[in-house]
Amino acid sequence: MSIPNKIPPFRRLRGYAFDPSLSLRGDTAFINNIVYNVPWESNLKPGPIGEYVEIIDFDPTTGRHYVPLNLNDVNLLAQDGLEPSESNPQFHQQMTYAVVMTTISNFETALGRKVLWAPRRLEDRGKYADYVPRLRIYPHALREANAYYSPQKKGLLFGYFEARPANSTLHMPNSFVFTCLSHDIIAHEVTHAILDGLHPSYSEASNADVLAFHEAFADIVALFQHFTFPEVLKHQIAKTRGDLGAQNLLGELAQEFGSAIGGYGSLRDAIGKIDPVTKQWKATEPSGEEYGNIMEPHQRGSILVSAVFEAFITIYKNRIKDLLRMATGGTGVLPQGELHPDLVNRLSTEAAKAAKHVLNMCIRALDYCPPVDITFGDYLRAIITADSALMKNDVRDYRLAFIDAFRRRGIYPQGLKTFSVESLALNHHTPLSPDTSKLMEILADFLKEYRNNIMYESDRQKIYEESKKYITGRKDENIQGLHERINIKFEDNKEFQQLTGLVFNSNWEELGIRTSAKTYKDGAIGPSFQIQNLRVVSRVGPDGNLVNQIVFSLVQRSAVEMENGAFKRHFDPAGTEELKSSQFFLFGGCTMVFDLDTMALKHIVSKPLLDTAKLKKGMPPEIDKDRIERQYRYQQEEGVMHLSEHSLYFGSGLQNKMNEPFSFLHH
Amino acid sequence: MAKAVNTKKITHAVVRMYCMGTGDCFIIKFFAGKKECFKMMIDCGVWSGKKEHLTTYIEDLKSYVDNSIDLLVVTHEHADHVSVFETCQELFTKNFKVKQTWMGWSEDDRLSKIKKWKTEHGEKKKALAMAAERLEKTVNEEEEKGVTKPGLNNKQIMGARKHFSLSLKSFSDLHVQGVAGNYKGALEGMRIVKKEIAKDKIEYLYPGNIIEDLPGLEGVKFYVLGPPEKWGEVEEEGGGEGESYTHNKELKGGDAFAAAILSDSAGTDTESILPFEEFYETKISSAIDLYKEEENAWRNIDNEWLFSAGSLALRINSLTNNLSLALAIEFEDSKRVMLFPGDAEYGSWCSWHKINWEGTATVEDGKHFTQDLLRRTVFYKVAHHMSHNGTAKRLGLNMMENKDLAAMATLDYGVIAPGWDSTMPNREMLSELLRKTKGKVMIMNDNDLFFDFHGQEPLPAKIEEARKKMSTKEMAAFNKAYNRAPGNLYVEYTVKA
Repeated sequence: MSIPNKIPPFRRLRGYAFDPSLSLRGDTAFINNIVYNVPWESNLKPGPIGEYVEIIDFDPTTGRHYVPLNLNDVNLLAQDGLEPSESNPQFHQQMTYAVVMTTISNFETALGRKVLWAPRRLEDRGKYADYVPRLRIYPHALREANAYYSPQKKGLLFGYFEARPANSTLHMPNSFVFTCLSHDIIAHEVTHAILDGLHPSYSEASNADVLAFHEAFADIVALFQHFTFPEVLKHQIAKTRGDLGAQNLLGELAQEFGSAIGGYGSLRDAIGKIDPVTKQWKATEPSGEEYGNIMEPHQRGSILVSAVFEAFITIYKNRIKDLLRMATGGTGVLPQGELHPDLVNRLSTEAAKAAKHVLNMCIRALDYCPPVDITFGDYLRAIITADSALMKNDVRDYRLAFIDAFRRRGIYPQGLKTFSVESLALNHHTPLSPDTSKLMEILADFLKEYRNNIMYESDRQKIYEESKKYITGRKDENIQGLHERINIKFEDNKEFQQLTGLVFNSNWEELGIRTSAKTYKDGAIGPSFQIQNLRVVSRVGPDGNLVNQIVFSLVQRSAVEMENGAFKRHFDPAGTEELKSSQFFLFGGCTMVFDLDTMALKHIVSKPLLDTAKLKKGMPPEIDKDRIERQYRYQQEEGVMHLSEHSLYFGSGLQNKMNEPFSFLHH
Repeated sequence: MAKAVNTKKITHAVVRMYCMGTGDCFIIKFFAGKKECFKMMIDCGVWSGKKEHLTTYIEDLKSYVDNSIDLLVVTHEHADHVSVFETCQELFTKNFKVKQTWMGWSEDDRLSKIKKWKTEHGEKKKALAMAAERLEKTVNEEEEKGVTKPGLNNKQIMGARKHFSLSLKSFSDLHVQGVAGNYKGALEGMRIVKKEIAKDKIEYLYPGNIIEDLPGLEGVKFYVLGPPEKWGEVEEEGGGEGESYTHNKELKGGDAFAAAILSDSAGTDTESILPFEEFYETKISSAIDLYKEEENAWRNIDNEWLFSAGSLALRINSLTNNLSLALAIEFEDSKRVMLFPGDAEYGSWCSWHKINWEGTATVEDGKHFTQDLLRRTVFYKVAHHMSHNGTAKRLGLNMMENKDLAAMATLDYGVIAPGWDSTMPNREMLSELLRKTKGKVMIMNDNDLFFDFHGQEPLPAKIEEARKKMSTKEMAAFNKAYNRAPGNLYVEYTVKA
């Protein structure tokens, strides 16, 4: 009998909890150096190059390659990796690896499945896309105060720059500041990459919220990861005497970056800022009009960040009420002086739990978001839906806390008759006709087969290929793909068009929809549409409630031409080499959630291409003029007004987001 | 001549803007009655243009001023303000007399502080030029090799990259003499003015200077507003919400970038720009092998860092704009003011309100004298071709309250740098200007200019509409004062003293 192989669950790696600047401050140095517990990768090569990422430390600005870090070196294994150091590029590799892997692992825990990067889409629509196994990470790629995720290169590019500090006690003027040493910046950028894998159309700025959402979501993840470092959490709880709504390190983002360039704007202001008069830190009090007035993507994003943070504070306060009563003999007023360490421990546990729940809610909500044109209101609905599915009973009023925080900032979802937990959840859709129900059931059956095939697969490439097979079909295995099934089964099905808001009829070309590159059985053709992100949602709620769902998104686009700011006609996108400035694509899409226990369509959230109101009245299908004009107005006017000077001079407009949208966004 | 009327006192000025293309060239003639008393010239540049074409304008200019100028003002060293001195050099160096030349204090190369700064700033400009050149080359190579293929939308991606490169090139051309492989330094037009036209006899002005009693200019005073004397103010390009016309991020950093570009091109002294000790470097590793894999070349980043030059370009641009010599010209009796701010941006506008004016009478309602100058302004040369931060909001346009206010702008979509048309004109500023002037906005060439974003409302119609707000009397006066020459050679406007 062989001795059982004991693979360690974690690789312990030292790193900064925030960034190097806090190691220079006496009061924070000891909490800034922490050990990250990174999921163990058996096959980790020097770089580090693992299953998810490949770190290539090439600095094109100097033409230098740095020696790749071998984390399996015995000396490093024995002492939790390299010691934090700004002057050692190998530590930079380690820090980047540790934070990226921690973030990925948080996503996988919340989603209950593997993280896949966005595939490389190809010009050849028949081939469609290439699988991208690993995200590329370049820790020293730029010489400027910027770092970004490149959707083109499926990579993270980090910059470094010379400090021009507002406060030269924290920074030696003219010393280098490295963005790849900041937990917040790394977490932020890798979240962009993960989100791009889940919702590739979210880099299309079709309304004021889309880019803001990308930024805000990345900030939320970075922010709530702070709460997963127990030492930091305890220290800050003790320091703020349990009041996490007050100024503390946990609620701040990218400190060094901010102080080095004199303010990273929204990152620091989301939750509160120093009052210029009193010089005291003050939490930002929402006025209720932010959402209607603030349009610049970062500032707009910070509305969402502050809403989520407020929800967290409410939840945390609810959770510690009893502890405070016990600790104060019912008065609720804490005695002067330091808190009892036991109380600090208990409060920290509650804060960590609350933060974990909030982060999970925020991540899980992604499964219930529309695939295109997201708004903050849609996101709120997705949060409530995801949580309601998992937790039948909201005993701690988590959902209320979210709704209230969003409401206080003027964020309301569109098209709701009432504003409550029930109406926000995406449960309601009109019962389907028997025919359509039957078709849905067949679809659910097919999806169940997919689920069974993929449930226990842990190889990410196999998951990708298996999903692709079920989407596009395989002749040799006699699998008719989801794409074909939808196109054929629902052709001219009015109810399905009404539900999805997408074009599945025989005159798609008149509505500006391309003909699909696929030919189906017997040479049949159909309108082009994409199936994005076919996924299994399998979760167990805290009260033992099982969620057993399959989710996928449909995306379709219609080519429209404008005249004098109004819709003129559709054009044929296939025969168009370059778009005129009056031409653009309107994206529509829907996310469909199938419940495998009842074998029925459970939720659907749609951004319709079709004018569903007219469709309902039995009128012939046409593209929603209102949405056309709204997107056009945004991309031509409102959005342009709030572009940075950098984007105005060097960008190619909101309709052409092709050249590094996130790089532009960060300028 | 029995009456005691002073016949020498200036009664009006005619401002003439030559319409060569986006860029400034002004002649201002001061009259006492019918007598021509003083001829002033401000800048002579255009974004681009061939010699043959520009010669027509300059020959007209020369005959208009009878080959002689009393005062030449060069606001700042940008091609669109000095280029024609180079293109039509001999027209200016031969048979053309300039009696006096003014520039901002920051042009005084004799001062060691300025010399030192100019060397540093010059290095940055050089870096910009080299980055622009390298990026242009790189992007062309990329296109040839088809590096973005076979990815989806590769044509659009390439298009966006080319657009970036073109915009960067235009910023480089604006600041730096034609590069073509080797950097030549500051703009030739500026050198020609200094050495060959002014022959180094230049008066350098400081904010707070007040100049009066120039021979022939009775009853006219010059107030120097900018360039500011503090670097902090020079470097400030946008004031944020409510201050300038769009929110702008601060553009800092860029020194490390410039250093890398320069050392890379010179091939020497790479040592000082390296962030790490040499022993961390390697030439052989598994990571390098991965980076060099042919099928993964689309993920390489050899040239991505060159795009950082965009921030550098904007920073240098704003800084140079803020070094504009900004003048307020006051008619003493009526207190009416003509404002020529060059291309001053927010930082400069802001500094004007901190000037400690000496020898000016206290303003009645206790407001700062600069504010008083602004509210007495009846003629405004719109700074920076109507861009968003060329005109300050709270500390600028909001204070221009005079009902006679008229404005001239040197914007022409026919001849403009790529990328500029997205920021000029700024719609919010323009509509405010139209409202305040009741349509007395004179644009160099308003063909192809639209008031809205989707080419629906042509600007000329919008201007006409705004002019309907004028009373019949105002309208008649405006029509009399305003003149556009045939062939759009120039636009003239008469300002009453």
